Amino acid sequence: MRRRALISLTAAALTSVAAAHSASDAYLTLTGAAGSRTLLHGQWDIALRDLDFVLQVDDDGDGRITWGETKRHRADIERYAYAHLRIADDAGGTCTIKPTAQMIDDHADGAYAALFFDVACPQATKQIDLHYDLFFAVDPSHRGIFVMHAGDSIATSVLSPQNASIKLAP
Amino acid sequence: MARGAQPALTPAFRAPYTPGADSDVLQEVPSGTDPAVIDMRRLRRQFDATPQDLAAALQLAGAYVDYSRQIGDAHYAGYAEAVIAPWVSRTPAPAAALVTQATILQYRHQFAEARELLQAALKRDSRNPQAWLTLATLDMVQGNYAAAGKNCAHAAETAGFELGLACTGNLRSYLGQARQSLTMLQQAAATADKSAAAYQAWLQGLIAESAERLGDWPLAETHYRAALKLLPQDNFLLVAYADFLLDRGRAKEVLALLAEHTQSDTAFLRLALAQAELRGADAARYTWIMAARFEALALRGSDYFGREQARFALQLQHDPQRSLEMAQRNWQLQRAPWDARVLLEAADAAHQPRAALDVLAFLQQTKLEDPIIEPLAQKLRAQLNSAAGGGS
Repeated sequence: MRRRALISLTAAALTSVAAAHSASDAYLTLTGAAGSRTLLHGQWDIALRDLDFVLQVDDDGDGRITWGETKRHRADIERYAYAHLRIADDAGGTCTIKPTAQMIDDHADGAYAALFFDVACPQATKQIDLHYDLFFAVDPSHRGIFVMHAGDSIATSVLSPQNASIKLAP
Repeated sequence: MARGAQPALTPAFRAPYTPGADSDVLQEVPSGTDPAVIDMRRLRRQFDATPQDLAAALQLAGAYVDYSRQIGDAHYAGYAEAVIAPWVSRTPAPAAALVTQATILQYRHQFAEARELLQAALKRDSRNPQAWLTLATLDMVQGNYAAAGKNCAHAAETAGFELGLACTGNLRSYLGQARQSLTMLQQAAATADKSAAAYQAWLQGLIAESAERLGDWPLAETHYRAALKLLPQDNFLLVAYADFLLDRGRAKEVLALLAEHTQSDTAFLRLALAQAELRGADAARYTWIMAARFEALALRGSDYFGREQARFALQLQHDPQRSLEMAQRNWQLQRAPWDARVLLEAADAAHQPRAALDVLAFLQQTKLEDPIIEPLAQKLRAQLNSAAGGGS
């Protein structure tokens, strides 16, 4: 038994080098609402594949996630996702995140749940603090590809376990 | 959206949308009836129940790493990393946890970091066969053949004659001794435990590779097929066989072989190459999607696809200069025969034989046999010689 385990690990170690693969990404975009210094609009694309690993979205286990299954898990998906995103104003006040819609967005590596939301901060703020830790506890190689649109300017950042908290000008 | 087989190939990249029917299939995922998935879930429950148990963590992480490699999906390597992270950060870290983490880093082509962990593991447990074997593999991938030979010898001491034979047999295929390599690997396969499918498949794949070094195409094909019979879903074997078919002008077979493997980036590149070869209706779309996937990888800061990106730039974007830059950067990291080949092809296409000097010297020194690489190297050497002669 011990020997079998060794051999199987060996085969994996010796052949895995040449394989290269897609990894887990999510895409988070925030846009300042016109004429407001307290409101932001957000879109967060999260791979259905990744959501299935933590929430088992594929209810019937047939290896295919349908729109029906995704809709049934909408509340689960939102609860899970928004528990891993915190936004605060420069006085430390927590901004509320209000889900507005959930759709599907296609990326080159598969279908993503597109979560739309509004962010409302308690007071006008020069800077917001964003903390992101989606999937890091189960997959430290996950990355959040973040884009902030404020007027004509665009700021980007790659969110990772080492870069989970960032400061932004809305 | 097309149902089933090709979830990544949507008609066009459109704005976020609401699917029309509940029954619309959006995404394929590992099926809950797949024995590997059932096994991983069982190990996960075991691990969750006893998070302090190193053996449970290692078993689950090992299952994730195997699955990651099998289906060509890096997500599971990340899941494995999370499972063993508490053990890796412990002082002193258990050797077995360091070896597992090294395997994950190696998989992501973080070779220097992987090597450090393996050396740390061997300091703790100098008779860890997995650590010696993984180190030998790293050395082979990076072209450090003298070190690989020593580490294969350590592997033989600690893991047994049979694995040592396979390790050394594999090494010889890079040193102008492909005929000997073939004999040694065939001997290893003949004595190996027939019930260890993954190990047998690995040996069959190595035999096929050695046969390719010798230009014995029928033998190579026989062994690729034998390997795939044992592990039909294995991404590494599928991709190696697809490359073999592409070289033989059998692109059509590649489409059938990889139809269900669009999720893997390495498999997807071979599909895109086959589509281009066949001038299929989907060729442009595959190229476009492949480019988008490489862009997504660049966005997240991943840089371990040099070999694939060099091939993509040369054959699908028709940009030899870019291909050459990719191949040169890749050569600093990896020195397997394919890494040499993509660099020589790019240097040739870009009319820059001098850019191939390092690779040519490496080939001369190692005496690699390969019926595709050798003529290419000769051609570039002739160009260099005539340039030198013309200049004097």
